[in-house]
Amino acid sequence: MLQSYVSIENLSKSFGLFSAVDDVSIGIGKGEFFSLLGPSGCGKSTLLRMIAGFETPTSGVVRLDGDEVTDVPAHRRPTNMMFQSYALFPHLSVGKNIAFGLQQDRLASGEIRQRVSEVAEKLQLTALLDRKPQQLSGGQRQRVALARALVKRPKVLLLDEPLGALDKNLRTETQHELVRLQRELGLTFIIVTHDQHEAMTVSSRIAIMRQGKVLQIGSPAEVYETPVSRYVAKFLGEANVFEGGSARRSGNELKIESAEAGGSVLATASDHISTNGRYWVSVRPERVELSKQGTGLEGVIEQFSYAGAGRHYRVRLKSGATLDARRVNSGAQDDLSVGDTVFASWMPQAARLLAD
Amino acid sequence: MMQSKPDLGRRALVLVPYGWLAVFFLMPFLLVLAISLSSVRLGMPPYEPLYAWQGSLLSIRLNLENFVFVLGENTYLLAYLTSLKVAAISTALMLAIAYPLAYGIASCSPGSRSFLIFLVIVPFWSSMLIRVYAWMSILRNDGLLNSLLLNLGIISEPLRIMNTETAIYIGIVYTYLPFMVLPIYANLSASDRTLIEAARDLGCSRIAAFWRVTFPLSLRGVAAGCALVFIPVIGEFVVPDLLGGADTQMIGRTIWIEFFNNRDWPVASAVTVLLLVILVIPIVLFQTRLSRTSK
Repeated sequence: MLQSYVSIENLSKSFGLFSAVDDVSIGIGKGEFFSLLGPSGCGKSTLLRMIAGFETPTSGVVRLDGDEVTDVPAHRRPTNMMFQSYALFPHLSVGKNIAFGLQQDRLASGEIRQRVSEVAEKLQLTALLDRKPQQLSGGQRQRVALARALVKRPKVLLLDEPLGALDKNLRTETQHELVRLQRELGLTFIIVTHDQHEAMTVSSRIAIMRQGKVLQIGSPAEVYETPVSRYVAKFLGEANVFEGGSARRSGNELKIESAEAGGSVLATASDHISTNGRYWVSVRPERVELSKQGTGLEGVIEQFSYAGAGRHYRVRLKSGATLDARRVNSGAQDDLSVGDTVFASWMPQAARLLAD
Repeated sequence: MMQSKPDLGRRALVLVPYGWLAVFFLMPFLLVLAISLSSVRLGMPPYEPLYAWQGSLLSIRLNLENFVFVLGENTYLLAYLTSLKVAAISTALMLAIAYPLAYGIASCSPGSRSFLIFLVIVPFWSSMLIRVYAWMSILRNDGLLNSLLLNLGIISEPLRIMNTETAIYIGIVYTYLPFMVLPIYANLSASDRTLIEAARDLGCSRIAAFWRVTFPLSLRGVAAGCALVFIPVIGEFVVPDLLGGADTQMIGRTIWIEFFNNRDWPVASAVTVLLLVILVIPIVLFQTRLSRTSK
């Protein structure tokens, strides 16, 4: 956490008795695309608003580029925010919306014009500069909001659910656009989102939040592959989680008896987790292999759904628990159908041991 | 059949305000217009009929002399100008009081907001006439205000406020203030708070954010409030009659004198029609500009 560009140290914010952000510490490096991910009410927006200067922390410190800014008001911070509602000024044209912050900084009009046209070109807004925000489509408004924040060349750009109002196709497109812009400009982006796919797609690192606390921080691969808890595993995509019982070790492999799964399951011993207390085994559906004959957990296919890119099976295990499995849709004929008896198994590396 | 039913209902609904305007505004105005084109006579009604049947011939006589007379007399012109001045100054005073008031109320919590707005409206529950009389007892030379200031030793002889223009301004501002507060409050309370945050984020201090975002966005409410007070104040009769002096002759009082003292209904009507023309032209200009900017 040394030499972080944005440094959040033991930050807390409570509203009355409700603790919105609870002792959070995060270090964000220069040029990172950092996501705050969590369900609504987890405190991610409050945290972002404290970085922007809209909320005063109850305790803790915010540092930007080495300077403590905890008590600096929003208009003096080197951050700019893109609002979820875009918050475009309805009485000003697109051009004047973008120029708003530069005019406030009393830049020369020539420089304002040049910077506005530069950013407008980058975001394909040049033809729209004379329009009013009400005359724009959702996607265009989103780009104006982005341009208005970017034109000020902030040290850190804060994005509060920036793509929430866009439809799915445009959202995917815009995610790539954001990543491209962020790389091109070399800026530090902090984005708040409740959409795990979005966080995975755009971020260099993700902080997963719940009830005001940060549960885990890591790259998309780290948090997906090695979640620290059942909650994180289930929040980031799907996970089959079974409580583990006695375990037998052979080499680097563990053979775990699980009453919940109704049999023994495999895992690696590399997770630093004691198998003496309560613990759980987590497996992603796409790592589960289903076959009609063989070994593994026996069950019956209860549900099948065709999801285009993949085929989803829900298996009712003999123990009564359910297990989800997914096969990539390779175009081959499907040999499994509802009612078939199948055996589910996975490679030891596919499973994760969780203590919580 | 089923589909046309709600359509019919909607049309009927639209007809209600038009019907109201036709019966209670347009018809009285046409009557006044007709009288203004007549000439005075002794008797009941105190004006000549506009038309007469001569056998099978209908003869209509329109008399424009009243308008020529009114436009040529300095008294009327002066009364118009005084009314415009009083209306303009009191509108400005009300704006200066009402805007901060509305802004303050709009920034309170929703619960106290409705209570404060209730307080703004509560004077309406008693008769305006009674409230103006109450002001007389406050502003009189031996009234509440003067005895208070005298007893406190702030002044040594009573202030002469009653029957001056100051008293008119006090009365008018007091009477009409809610009409200025309510539209501005409605506008400000509906404004989007994140716009202020966006302005702050882009480098505005609180004051700069107010002038660059809040104020321009509230101009519609300001315009509505100004129109709501300016227009009735021009024709105001009660306040200047009760609180004002003889030296401040507003147009409302002029019309009253023509109607009831001089019993010259045609001239009184001509003054009224001209007043309406003076008022309607700026409103129409304002409306067309407003609808053009909102497009």
